[in-house]
Amino acid sequence: MANIHDDPAALKALQDDIYRERILRARRMTVEQRLAEVFELSNRVMARMHEGAMWQLGTTDAEVGWQEVRRRLDRLDRIHDEGRFVNTKPVPT
Amino acid sequence: MTVEELAAAVLDACDSEGVDHMVTGAFATSVYGIPRSTKDVDIVLSLGRGDAISRVALRLEPIVEFKPQVQFDTLTWGRRLVGVARQSPPLKVELFELFDDPFVLAQFQRKRKLFSKQIGRNTWLPTPEDVVVQKLRWGRSKDLDDARDGAAREQHQH
Repeated sequence: MANIHDDPAALKALQDDIYRERILRARRMTVEQRLAEVFELSNRVMARMHEGAMWQLGTTDAEVGWQEVRRRLDRLDRIHDEGRFVNTKPVPT
Repeated sequence: MTVEELAAAVLDACDSEGVDHMVTGAFATSVYGIPRSTKDVDIVLSLGRGDAISRVALRLEPIVEFKPQVQFDTLTWGRRLVGVARQSPPLKVELFELFDDPFVLAQFQRKRKLFSKQIGRNTWLPTPEDVVVQKLRWGRSKDLDDARDGAAREQHQH
C-alpha cells in the first residue's frame, strides 16, 4: 500500500477533504451546539491529561495525577509567557 | 469543577460586581468557527467604576488563585490578570480589561447575548465579524487559523 506522505498532491487532497468535512459539520450545528461541544471537548481533554499523567507516574492516586497536570500546565504557561514557545520553523541563519 | 462550572462562576462574579463583560478566547472562536478544546476561561471586562479586574478577582478568590500582579499584554487586550482554579482540573481564568482602542471599544459595544444551557445563563460574545477582524489584527499562527475557520464556517449564510 502506497504511503500518502510520499505523494504531496494526494496528501493535500486528503487534508482538504478533512478540513471541508470539519467545516460542513460545524455549519450543521447551532451556536448552542458548538458552545456545548467546547465544554465537552475541554472537559474530556483535561480528563485524558489526568489519566495520562497517572499512567506515566504509575499511580492510582488521583490527586497526585492532578498535581502533575497542574505542574505541566504551569510550565507550559511559563514557557509561553517568556516568549520561548514557537510553533513555526526557525528562520535559517 | 468543569469548564462550564468555572465559566458560570466567572460570569456570576462579573454580574455581582456590576461589570459588563464579553466572553472571548476559544469560546468565541469556537461558537463561530470549529469547536475546539480550551483550558482557559477568557473574559473581557468593561472599564467601569473603580478597578473592575481587582473587584472580579476578589469575588473569585475562593475558587481561583490569581497571580499577584496585573500583566500588560501588548498584543491582545491590554491589562490582564491570570489565575488558576484552586480545585482540579487546573483550568485557567484570564480577566482582560478593555483599553482605549477604537476597534476594541466598538467590538465591545457590538457584543451579542447568547443563552448557554450548560452555563445556565445568558452571556455575551463578540460578533462573528469582530472575532475574525480581531484575529487578523493579532495575526499569530493560531489566530490566523481561527480567522480562516470562522470565515469558512460563516460563508454559507451570506
